[in-house]
Amino acid sequence: MSKNRVSRRQFLNYTLTGVGGFMAAGMLMPMVRFAVDPVLQAAGESDFIPTKQKVAEITETPTRVDYTYEQQDAWYTSEVTGTAWVYKDEKGEIVALSPVCKHLGCVVDWNTDKSNPDHFYCPCHGGLYTKDGTNVPGTPPIAALDVFPYTEKDGFLYLGKAEPRKEA
Amino acid sequence: MKWISQDIDMFLKEKQYVDTAVLPLLPVSFGDDIKKSVAMTEFISLLSVQLERQFRGRLIMLPGYAYIKSVSEDKLVSSLGEWEAELKSQGFKHIFHLTSDSMWNALEDRLEGGLIWLPSLPLEHMEENYKNSILEDQVKQLLALFVQKWQNGE
Repeated sequence: MSKNRVSRRQFLNYTLTGVGGFMAAGMLMPMVRFAVDPVLQAAGESDFIPTKQKVAEITETPTRVDYTYEQQDAWYTSEVTGTAWVYKDEKGEIVALSPVCKHLGCVVDWNTDKSNPDHFYCPCHGGLYTKDGTNVPGTPPIAALDVFPYTEKDGFLYLGKAEPRKEA
Repeated sequence: MKWISQDIDMFLKEKQYVDTAVLPLLPVSFGDDIKKSVAMTEFISLLSVQLERQFRGRLIMLPGYAYIKSVSEDKLVSSLGEWEAELKSQGFKHIFHLTSDSMWNALEDRLEGGLIWLPSLPLEHMEENYKNSILEDQVKQLLALFVQKWQNGE
């Protein structure tokens, strides 16, 4: 005990280093946190929204699949309903099309126009799309229907954000 | 299209495709029927949002026409007549009034535009999901009506 006597100078040195260290850490920590924040954010959940549609029950006829998600406008959260036309193509792959007409944004329906069976039909200006979503030339729309990316989880269909078709 | 800047830009660009104007009629009253008038206004406002989403490319959803219930019918009809005249002169071929107020049924003959009357539903006690699906059903019924009117007009 008496051998390691701490001199006044040493004592002050130790305390100053300690307190200074804490202060420096207090300043640097938030800066580091801000710097790495984007990295932490990216690890968040995916954008896929669950639907009530079972993947096994999807047929070759396009069916309406409704899904709801919460939309945030600043502090106000509202529940928004979206719709997709979902079916399996000849290869057995799932196709999920957006129902929003590429002309002026009305909602298209499957097989409702009697003179054009098995087409997506827009009631507003008579826009037509074939089953795979391609616009029929001669009708107002100028592009094919948007396509939803999808995944399957626990047998249910999950839809992403609708994207314009790359080809065509 | 809604009565918002973003949609009006689209309207100005695509004017030749937009030939229908929808005017929701929203009653306001502070008397004994205050609850009823609120329910009607609420129902029609919600319905107009859904209807606009379905037909956004061909119709313009005007901001609602709010009126005081105690004002005389003649005054309301003539005021609505001014709306119709203005819309007509702007080139709208189809004008629809959307309402839950049964008073308008008796006045339908005196209006130039079409009257769409729907009984207001007690949405206040409903769950959000249920509410949406009911409104969608209502819109689906209107869909046929709109398509028919459009085809007759062509």
